[in-house]
Amino acid sequence: MLAHQMAMESEMVQAEMVEATEFPDLSNQYHIMGVPDTVINFGKSKMVGAVPEGQLLAEIMKVMA
Amino acid sequence: MSNLLNDDVRRQVREAFEQLQEPVQILFFGSKEQCEYCDDTLKLVEEVAEISDKLSVRVFDVEADAAVAENYNVSLTPGLVIAAVGEDGPIDYGVRYAGIPSGHEFSSLIQDLLLVSGRDSGLNEQTRDFLANLKEPVHLQVFVTPT
Repeated sequence: MLAHQMAMESEMVQAEMVEATEFPDLSNQYHIMGVPDTVINFGKSKMVGAVPEGQLLAEIMKVMA
Repeated sequence: MSNLLNDDVRRQVREAFEQLQEPVQILFFGSKEQCEYCDDTLKLVEEVAEISDKLSVRVFDVEADAAVAENYNVSLTPGLVIAAVGEDGPIDYGVRYAGIPSGHEFSSLIQDLLLVSGRDSGLNEQTRDFLANLKEPVHLQVFVTPT
């Protein structure tokens, strides 16, 4: 939901909810062990658990820096 | 074929949809090949869309409509793009689903329809400021499970 809010806000953001069990290859590729798990820019970073807005923002900032 | 949504769920969704503002179109991408959840996903979004006349569904096939799928950057099926409706067609905000939005994800789907319909992210100022100044694309994938 937060990821989708970010997509909604900016044309530069695309956000996809991925049903992990339906796409095991992708889940393995990113070593998904628990959900939710947010993968940023194809594995540049990853945040396990439901993260609050400020924390996800900070992580994206770090990846984009 | 019986309905995926029971009367109780349908009633709750109808109540939530009272908040719908602008029309929303769900672009469904399926595949004839090895797509265990394609049929159920299409049925699910069609049942949801039936609840409000502000909602519609367009159906694509990633093989038969390869150009459309590529245009929307959809490769996994079932895939959903939750788009607003503009004068010249769907307005893509980058809101996507890969896989069936059932269980927990069903309420996310309903929230997303309301989000896109309201055309406002609801994010705080700091986040909006940062996102407004993005120079390069950000790609987020949130892995979830239905239960």
